[in-house]
Amino acid sequence: MSSFSPGGQRSFSGGGAGARGKAGAAGRGGADKKEQGKRYFFRRRKVCKFCADKIDYIDYKDVKLLGPFAPERGKILPRRMFGTCAAHQRTLTLAIKRARAIALLPFAAE
Amino acid sequence: MSDRVYEFLFVADPNLGEPEVDALAALVQGYVEKEAGKLQKVEKWGKKRLAYKIGRHREGSYVLIVAEGGSGLVKEVERRLRVTDGVIKFITVRVDEELRKAEASKARRTATEAKRRTRPSPPAQLEEGY
Repeated sequence: MSSFSPGGQRSFSGGGAGARGKAGAAGRGGADKKEQGKRYFFRRRKVCKFCADKIDYIDYKDVKLLGPFAPERGKILPRRMFGTCAAHQRTLTLAIKRARAIALLPFAAE
Repeated sequence: MSDRVYEFLFVADPNLGEPEVDALAALVQGYVEKEAGKLQKVEKWGKKRLAYKIGRHREGSYVLIVAEGGSGLVKEVERRLRVTDGVIKFITVRVDEELRKAEASKARRTATEAKRRTRPSPPAQLEEGY
């Protein structure tokens, strides 16, 4: 019984902090906004890189262009990470796969 | 049927010297010409690090050959590349259709941009609040 009550108290105080944080975020510029999720902070509208830069043909030979879309483990990043539009994501995927076939990009990290 | 444009990109053994790679490129060009393919471009990228090991190699010399021709060209050049010593990997990509599509989308964009410029005030865009 005595071990249970501090736990309950902690959860109660946690709930209070959450409510406060939410109020701060809604009020815009609350002091504890920074420590409450950064998600509210950097919410920028993502624009398809290929649409913005007017790249019509995504070349599989252009490693510099493709590299950021398949970082670290060599996995192709989902659309939501870069905001690539559907049409360009499709051609991008094809380009990355071609680049892999000729060892310009890795299939997996070594 | 009009001819198609293919890119033959192959990786040569890194142990080959530059003159040997040149000779290899010339050899492959010979394959293309023998099949009545029209050469458009030959590019040597030099030695590059491979993204993964091929056989025992970590590096390779890349050579790109762009040529115009029919499907018989690909068949024959690929067959020969497969048996050519010093070629450790190759890829053939048909590029004419994709380039044509890119060209078309470029034309479309310039057309819409021209239209937008002539119109005095475009209607308010509702992009923000989706």
